[in-house]
Amino acid sequence: MTERQTPSVGVVGGGPWGQALATAARRTGAEVVLHSRRDQAGGLGAQLRSSERSPQASTADPGLHVTVDYAEVAKARLVVIAVPSSVARSVLRALGDYLGGQHLVVHGVRGLGVEGLETVSDLVREETPARRLGALGGPVQAGELIEGRPSAMVIGSRFPEVIAAATRAFQGPSLRVYGTNDLRGLEWASALVGCLSIGVGYAEEAGAGPGLLAALISRGVDEAARLMAAAGCEERTMLGLGGYGDLLASIALEDRPEVVLGKALARKVPLDQAITMAKLRVEAIPLIPRIVRFAEERRVDANTFRALSEILAGGRPQAMLDRMFAG
Amino acid sequence: MQDDAPIFGFNAAREDIVRTVVSRVVLSTKDPLLALNDAAYHETKRLEASKRGPEEQKELAEWQRLARALGRMPDGERREKLASIVEHVGWDVAGNFDPRVFKVSSKLLPPIVTYLLAPRTLVRLARDPKQLVSLSALDDKVRVEGPVEELRELSRQGTAVYVPTHLSNMDSIVFGYALERAGLPPATYGAGKNLFTNPVLSFFMHNLGAYRVDRRIRHNLYKDVLKTYSCVLLERGYHSLFFPGGTRSRSGGVERRLKLGLMGTAIEAYARTLIANRERRVYFVPATINYLITLEAETLIADFLAEAGKGRFIIEDDESSRVGRVTAFMRKMFDMQGAVVIRFGKPIDPFGNMVDERCRSFDRRGREVDPASYVKDEGGRVTLDPVRDAQYTRELGDEICKAYLRDTVVLETHVVAAASFERLRRASPASDLFTVLRQRDVVVVPRDDLAKDVVKLRDRLVELADRGEIVVGGFLRTASGGDIVERALRAFAGYHASPVLASRPEGLAIMDTNLLFYYQNRLAAHGMAWDVIAPPGMPPARPPVFAKPAAQEAAQGGLS
Repeated sequence: MTERQTPSVGVVGGGPWGQALATAARRTGAEVVLHSRRDQAGGLGAQLRSSERSPQASTADPGLHVTVDYAEVAKARLVVIAVPSSVARSVLRALGDYLGGQHLVVHGVRGLGVEGLETVSDLVREETPARRLGALGGPVQAGELIEGRPSAMVIGSRFPEVIAAATRAFQGPSLRVYGTNDLRGLEWASALVGCLSIGVGYAEEAGAGPGLLAALISRGVDEAARLMAAAGCEERTMLGLGGYGDLLASIALEDRPEVVLGKALARKVPLDQAITMAKLRVEAIPLIPRIVRFAEERRVDANTFRALSEILAGGRPQAMLDRMFAG
Repeated sequence: MQDDAPIFGFNAAREDIVRTVVSRVVLSTKDPLLALNDAAYHETKRLEASKRGPEEQKELAEWQRLARALGRMPDGERREKLASIVEHVGWDVAGNFDPRVFKVSSKLLPPIVTYLLAPRTLVRLARDPKQLVSLSALDDKVRVEGPVEELRELSRQGTAVYVPTHLSNMDSIVFGYALERAGLPPATYGAGKNLFTNPVLSFFMHNLGAYRVDRRIRHNLYKDVLKTYSCVLLERGYHSLFFPGGTRSRSGGVERRLKLGLMGTAIEAYARTLIANRERRVYFVPATINYLITLEAETLIADFLAEAGKGRFIIEDDESSRVGRVTAFMRKMFDMQGAVVIRFGKPIDPFGNMVDERCRSFDRRGREVDPASYVKDEGGRVTLDPVRDAQYTRELGDEICKAYLRDTVVLETHVVAAASFERLRRASPASDLFTVLRQRDVVVVPRDDLAKDVVKLRDRLVELADRGEIVVGGFLRTASGGDIVERALRAFAGYHASPVLASRPEGLAIMDTNLLFYYQNRLAAHGMAWDVIAPPGMPPARPPVFAKPAAQEAAQGGLS
């Protein structure tokens, strides 16, 4: 066995997003250890390396180590969580056995908690001893990270050293990393953008013109910002790269799961089939009704989200217009 | 009482402490010109606005002279000036703890408190001097609850920072008494300078280890000295007491937002002990101080409403003379069992982890964690990082606020006030606070109806308590609605100047709406009373109190 350097970045999650983040960190020269439950004797590592479009890509990359052992990941000070929100708690609980106060834990999980509206960093706080936390967001797509096409990402944390560490790990000639201290806002914005993307896909497929689409997006973003204010976040985070920026990117993507799902629903595909078509788990589906309930409790107008909730329940395109033009 | 508590060595160390504070503040001041200008500006402004005696005149002239000279002063002279001002402030702040006096005063404290609380018993106590030091007369009046054994052991292992809720000027005395009763060593704390003007109080303040905080002084140098002083004390293992709410709660509500400045010094103090290679862990003890009635309730709520209504509210009566009120308050306390409840919460480390009696930290899943790991950088070195520590402290503040909710002890007056105020609110068509408050002597509630409301509310509170979200005392838990109302009436009557609830043939007339508002506010953050006191930017707690039956709502509407 060859002597390895201490890894500087640990990534938990072997799915496309985890792989993309590992690739991006490798590109800046970081020593990366990637935890994947699906790992079969380095198969994932090989697959990752071949996706690199550089001449050296075919040779083994000594800077990327794939493991099934959380203890290996915990050797890195910066640990990035990239697992679906449904398993976030159990993954964090297991990982937590190996973490301490020295770790910087950053997650790239879209979605708010399974039980209530707790954020993933709330889960990290509950399940691990780590306190210096952050989240990744913004418009960057997994494909862009893998291929090294220029894009932008946001790191949210109240700890400047977390922002610095994430920037060091990911920022390079093809990726700009922006920092914000509104961690909670970034987490909410990412989750709400997921919800709104379904609406955008739906409206497009249902034949909405550019004007209506623009109205839908603007109103949706405005509602999201007010919901966030009610949740103790900064409204402007929704209006920035982590909110509006992210939404614009998802609209441009034909294969973004939320958009695929919205389009399928507009074609009157039943929800369960539409979910299958979207391929990935769409975090927004269970979230939308909870957001609507939250809006009612806090007395925030959230007609777009209410319309989305009706669409998920099999409502007609007209329902969305009715909601939008109500009041 | 532990005689080995570090505070007993305080006097010997005092000079050394002040010197450390002065040199640290001077060294950390990067721009003496800026610091001195800021100090001169604020002090000139303050002194110009104050009613000046000869002493202040002189001070003002000196600051003015300094302000004029600063610009052309050479840097060396500015540094000297800075050092002398910091030293002056440092000595002004420094406490005056004298262990000899403390030993006397800790023996004197019981009879004095006993006297304050029960002047009538003094004669009896004088006849039987043994009772003077027993404090037993107070045992059932002032209750001390919480993990006292654990805290006692813990106080030998690390440095305690007590962070209680703050309602009254009685708090520091009451809390000092609670520490004594619990067998915990005394704690130093920053007391408002105004408390030192009274010679008797001042004696106790000094000798219980208080240092002076002059809230009128607003410049940064002063704040730096205070923070550094607090840090140095913690670093040296002096247990401390902060009221993180900053000032007494004006609304009567439990603190939901804290002032974090002094609390933040705990992490720096801990990190410095690590750097000096003599680790001494620091732990926080949230606590609640709960009063059946509050000494200054009238003034506080009037002040709160004046602020909230931006002038719409006119203060109707002045508070009567202080001595009379204090005596009346004490008499009331002595009349009622469990009139004050001090409840210590579970100790936590500065990073929000649980702490056991050996001062070991455990995360929320019960895994042991080394607190030093939170203040280390990439290379594993302990660092001082104010920005990082401010964030830890923010999160700690959230944890402490949660502990306040869990450890709030509901008393009869709170429940009866919440039930009465709900009646009042329903009687008013517009749910505007000031409209509701204006209905003095308008609503009369049949006693049985109020008792029923009280029982309903109590049952919800017990549910909440069984989930660990609040504390409901033994009497409140088991008494009948009628008895609860009676006890609240007895508590209000004879202390508050005007009647709170007045007995009429047809029921209880709701009289002092302000005071009822004040006492119901204690349950607002729990969603157990009308919550119109949530701090700006924070959503009000859900108001489920009597909720639902639309039919009942309609029936109530008839009242208005």
